[in-house]
This record gives sequence, C-alpha cells and structure tokens, in this order.
Amino acid sequence: MEFKDYYQVLGVSKTATAEDIKKAYRKLARKYHPDVSKEADAVARMAEINEANAVLSDPEKREAYDALGRQAPHRPGQDFHPPPNWDAGFEFSDGAGAAGGPDGEFSDFFEQLFGRRARAQRARSQHRETPGDTPWGGTVPPSRGNDHHAKIELDLLDAYQGAERSLALRGARLDETGRMVHEERSLQVKIPKGVREGQLIRLTGQGSPGMGGAPAGDLFLEVQFRPDARWRAVDRDVYQPVAVAPWEAELGAIIEVQTPAGALEVTVPAHWKPARKLRLKGRGIPAATPGDLYLELTVTLPPAQNEAERTAYTAFAQAFARFNPRTTTGA
Amino acid sequence: MTPAPLTALAQPGELLDDAAELTVEALARACRMDTDWVIARLQEGLLQAGAMHAANPATWRLSSATVVRARRLAQLEVTFDADPHLAALTADLIEEVAFLRRRLRHAEASRGSHP
Repeated sequence: MEFKDYYQVLGVSKTATAEDIKKAYRKLARKYHPDVSKEADAVARMAEINEANAVLSDPEKREAYDALGRQAPHRPGQDFHPPPNWDAGFEFSDGAGAAGGPDGEFSDFFEQLFGRRARAQRARSQHRETPGDTPWGGTVPPSRGNDHHAKIELDLLDAYQGAERSLALRGARLDETGRMVHEERSLQVKIPKGVREGQLIRLTGQGSPGMGGAPAGDLFLEVQFRPDARWRAVDRDVYQPVAVAPWEAELGAIIEVQTPAGALEVTVPAHWKPARKLRLKGRGIPAATPGDLYLELTVTLPPAQNEAERTAYTAFAQAFARFNPRTTTGA
Repeated sequence: MTPAPLTALAQPGELLDDAAELTVEALARACRMDTDWVIARLQEGLLQAGAMHAANPATWRLSSATVVRARRLAQLEVTFDADPHLAALTADLIEEVAFLRRRLRHAEASRGSHP
C-alpha cells in the first residue's frame, strides 16, 4: 500500500497546531466540497482531505502517525508496510465513522493503520497468543459493515421500462486468514420501474463487510437522469417539448407524438395560445400514483425553399395584412 | 496489489420510494451519526419524516429522500462545526443549485450544445 503524507494533504507543517489543522481542513473542504466544487477530482480529493483530518485532528492518532513516521520514514506514494507493533503504547478507537459524519470511506493506508480492520487484526493477533482459540473466537465484537453511497446515471426511459446496469465496484474484504485483500467486481443491478431522480436504490449486503459475524453494510445508489433534449423529469412529472406547424396550432389537429410512454395520439386544440401545455394524466413516471406528462407546444415555421412555398407565404401575408406581430400578443 | 478477477453478481435493486419505511436508526447509520442527532433534526424540522405522530421515535418512518439530506447536513455540521440551522440553510441552497443545474443541463441539451 502507498504511504500517505497527511500533513502534505492538508498543506500544513508537522508542527501545525490543532487550530492550524482545523483551518486548513475547512479551507480545503470548502474548495473540494462535492456539491459545489467544479474540480474534476473533487470527490477523491475530499475523501483524502477527510482522511487526513480524521488522523491529524485526533491527538492519539496523530501521535501514533508521527511515531510511525519517525520509525519508518517514507515519501508520499512510496510502497509501505507498517513495522510490527508500530502502534504499541497508543490507544485510539475505531476509525471510520467513529469521528462522526458520513464520509468514512478511507484508503487502504488508513484502514490498515487506524480502521476497523486494523483493530480486528490487532485483536486477532493478541488472541492467537492463547493456545486453543480460533482466530476470530470472541475477540472481535460483532459490528455491521458500513453502508456505501454512490451515484448512478440513468436515462428517463429506464424509469418507464426498468433496466439492468452493470456497475464496476472496487472494495476490500478480509480473506480467511484475516488479511485485507482488494477486490474489483462487477455487479449486475436491476433498476426497478418507477425510479425518480434523487431516489435511492438499495443493494443489500453490497457495502463494507461486517466484523465478527455481523452482516455487511448496504450499497445505496442515488439516481440521476442523463440530460436528454427530448424530455426532462421533475419529480414524477415529465415535460416534453413538441413542435407543431402553424396550421396545427391555430386550426387544431390530431398529432402523433413519440413520448417516453410510447407513441401517443394527441389532440391539439384550435386557437393557439402562447406557452401552451397539454397534460396527459398518468403518463409521467409510473408509480402507484403515476406522474403526468406535459407536452410543451412550440410553433415551428416551415422554411420556404422553392417558388411554390414562397408564393404560399406571400398569400399568407396578404390574408393577414392587418396582423402586426410587434403589437399583437400571440404567436 | 493485483486486483482479484471480476465476478458477476446479479442483484435486484430495491427502490426506496416515499412508501419505504426507514427507521430513525437506519437513517442514523446511513449518515454515521447517532440516533439522538437524527431525532433532534427531525424535531427541529431540519429533516422531514413521513410519519412521526407517535411520541416514540422508534415508530417514526422516513423517506429515502431524507437520507441524502441527512448525510449532507451531517457532513456540513461535522466539517465546519456548523450550527444545525446554518447547515440546513446551506443544504437548502445546495439543493436549489442542484435543481437549477439540472434545468441548465437540460436547456443546454435541448439546444444541442451540451458537452
């Protein structure tokens, strides 16, 4: 695993005070907050900053980390294995999550030194000194694995039809000897019909593994829809721009529209009104109480590309000689 | 370390809709805070519960939309030692910005200029 220089991550010196660390952390947390940052690597940077803060803002962890640096100096990114008993004489609690807050998904480096797995491994090695004990028997208190949170981008059509998506997940688990191993896996997920933007999809047992026989955490996927020029969703309602010809707009017509709910025949009422919307009840996102589909009508003028079409526009102008679009509210 | 080979698992996703019944404890676990923190935010109206008529918080039920907001509140409070109401105001603004960004992305896509 790679050595992490937490002081470098926060941009503070090794002699920084607790106040210096807090200030540096908050400044970076503002810069890289995933909800507002425009930096491409904001999520990864925020995780790194949280991790550095979790160690340096905790006096016991910081002291142990500093002692580790003195015992086994390393450069950032260099391959690193902690020396045996590096943490002898220090006492710190469970790492991820214990400090509070939702972002406790830390690096291998952190997990190995301060995380739940480190605690489990310490407990296991102590317990093995007693002859006859099993590696895990009774020394590790059962603890449910942490939940993980991620975002998933779907098409609006997936909400109408349901879908199946393949997710690439990277995580870590304990093997049968209690060592942490990395695992990359692809997870086939069935997306249920009726999903809305901002909703969560829960995948039971796909979070962090549990300890001491406790169950694994869950993976929560927050749904986002890809932008689509054809339509957009607001909660369960769907809005779709639909172009109509001037004669359809004014005289009324029955038109066929390709909607996310399929091809539908729709009646356009006569006598055009600006910003006209047609509501198709229950044709929004499916649910026990489905949303509505709103067709937002816009008038599109046909281009005059030949003599016959230009003549038609001339006749049109003559028929509406008294119409002035700059003094009339209308199309 | 060489990653283990890809493994294929099939799993149906469970949609946490408005009818989903998350307990206070489940919400606390999702944002890695304690249940007292969740109860206080619900009682102050900083988080909305689907049903919290009874006096006993163990019977309160929450929608999945609350999870995202609760995690955001927790993150703001913990990171900046923020007053809960200030964190809630910031969360409101973040939600508003997200809504407007979605509208902007859609408008750009409609004009065919989306990257």
